[in-house]
Amino acid sequence: MTPLEILAAAVHGAPAPRIPIFCHLLDQGARELGLSQKQYFSSGEYVAEGQLKLRKRFGHDNVWSLFYVGKDAEFFGCKEILYSDDGSPTVADFIIKGWDDIEKLVVPDDITAHPAWEETGKCLSILKQEVGDTHPICAYLTASTTLPSLLMGMDQWMELLLMGPKDLRDELLQKCSEFLQKKIAAVRAAGANVLVYTTPFGTTRFVGKKRFESFSMPWMKRDLEPGGVDGVVYYCGMEAFNDVIEPVMNELKIGVYYISPLADLTEAKTIIGNKGVTCGVIDDIKMITWTPEETRAEVKRLCDIGKPGEHFLFGTGVMPLAIPEANIKAMLAAAFEYGSYP
Amino acid sequence: MLRSIIKAYNEAVYETDKEAAFKIVEEAMKQGITAEEVVFDVVIPAIEEMMSMIIHDPDANLAQHFMTAQIATEVTEKMLTRFKQSPKIVGTVVMGTASGDLHSLGKRIVMGCLKAMMVSVVDLGVNVKPDTFVNEAVRFNAQVIGISAMMVHTATGEHGCRRVREILKERGLEPRIKLVVGGAPYRFDESMYRTVGADGWAPDGVTAAKVIIDLIGEVRQHDAT
Ligand code: B12
Repeated sequence: MTPLEILAAAVHGAPAPRIPIFCHLLDQGARELGLSQKQYFSSGEYVAEGQLKLRKRFGHDNVWSLFYVGKDAEFFGCKEILYSDDGSPTVADFIIKGWDDIEKLVVPDDITAHPAWEETGKCLSILKQEVGDTHPICAYLTASTTLPSLLMGMDQWMELLLMGPKDLRDELLQKCSEFLQKKIAAVRAAGANVLVYTTPFGTTRFVGKKRFESFSMPWMKRDLEPGGVDGVVYYCGMEAFNDVIEPVMNELKIGVYYISPLADLTEAKTIIGNKGVTCGVIDDIKMITWTPEETRAEVKRLCDIGKPGEHFLFGTGVMPLAIPEANIKAMLAAAFEYGSYP
Repeated sequence: MLRSIIKAYNEAVYETDKEAAFKIVEEAMKQGITAEEVVFDVVIPAIEEMMSMIIHDPDANLAQHFMTAQIATEVTEKMLTRFKQSPKIVGTVVMGTASGDLHSLGKRIVMGCLKAMMVSVVDLGVNVKPDTFVNEAVRFNAQVIGISAMMVHTATGEHGCRRVREILKERGLEPRIKLVVGGAPYRFDESMYRTVGADGWAPDGVTAAKVIIDLIGEVRQHDAT
């Protein structure tokens, strides 16, 4: 079976030789090609090549079309990204500097005609051609409720959200949601088949139950309704969200849940059961200092919890560059071993 | 009466309702409660109560932390102008985000909690160089340096906390200045603060204020002996 078929089997609960094995190596591509982060992320060809090489060398199932999360801000005019050769790029210029700037914010009509799309488009077209029929190609979707953090900074966004005028807040969210709907259509058309939908506001650790229901849920619905939830993964930036799995399943019909290592996986698996896919996610920040044996033991623990009853996959967070290669290899070897079905 | 004011104030903060919280304070003052009493007998106990609520209530959330810090800072700042004598400050902290890191929400929440608990806070902003942390700590006679980082490479990198620790050592400042860190990576690996050479860490703003006040106490005790 191809990794894509194995993923489909996990979704439908069909027989498969093993669980799907996801590993998110974003920043590692530059080193793989011997480039600086800045050079690497300047080109869709580099990113595609980096992803394909990393996948081949480590053997995990998926590749990524995401360069870095802050790229979304470039569609709105952000021109300053801070690169670092030992970690992820980050937005260095917030284009919304005052509330007045919200009105001036323009969502490009056709986002695929925007310069910020060009390299992502190239990357996706290479990935589609090379592994589109066989492997999951992941795309990253920043939810409308979270995108403002990249446009104005998280603390300014919290201030507007919690204390600002509601009409202004909604104007910003509408623009972000419109952008997201367009992005969903664009990445799907270009070949992405796993859409990682991200919003820490989709957890009650960020906003509490009341605001989750009155604020986060309606905006999530709006983000996802036009495109549907095919291939969509519910991911909250590694924040825990067990207590909202049920409402999300009932109201958004999302099929795959990326469970934070800070949450109780056993509980999540019990809630999700065979109604969706539970993702067992390793704490990859601890992998920086773990030994390969400790890494293996944690993979085993996750698989022991998740594998019974199928509908399970293994995954990581945004793997920090500081993780020793021996631990990445140990993690994947263990995932293949403990993730195999008899 | 104070009990019922604290209760009402806390309920407003818990519902993240800033206007209601302000109204309660105004009402209390009309009834003869002094600015000093508002800060020391309402705001600070309210934060302490919030602290235990956050620890015990699984439904406590970031919006509440943010609003606790925000409302408490605003109330305290307003009350300070009405204090009869200048208040006794617990100590001084300089805070910023690590070099290469522009994520300022965590810092803002921590600073808000500290200010409301009568700690003087100097905001060094974002993307702060290691020697700036130390120079400013010396300049403001701070007992604690606080460094916030959202990403692994800024939390553990050579230009972050590790370097600040080295500079403190080189300049013989270690007994006088303590080093505290926080931010997402430290929550995922609770032993990380030690590997980067910090004296303490905290998973949220209210706990941060407590950890920092304790460290200020340590430095003060050392100075006194
Ligand atoms: C929200 C979030 C996002 C949002 C918003 C980001 C933003 N601009 O703020 C989005 C989805 C856009 C995002 C993007 C990215 N993210 Co992000 N994100 C998160 C998440 C879920 C929460 C972070 C947060 O804002 N928390 C809320 C604030 C208030 O909490 P806090 O900063 O931790 O602060 C509290 C405490 O830590 C403490 N504290 C903070 N500072 C201090 C200081 C002192 C002295 C003390 C005592 C205490 C203290 O008190 C605070 C108040 O309670 C975390 C995972 C997690 N569960 O924490 C990942 C996480 C931080 N993100 C991560 C990464 C990598 C990224 C990206 C770099 C990914 C990429 N490759 O592009 C981008 C960067 C975007 C950019 N700026 O350009 C990683 C970092 C680890 C790593 N691998 O380096 C994390 C940990 C996720 C993971 N495990 O993979 N992210």
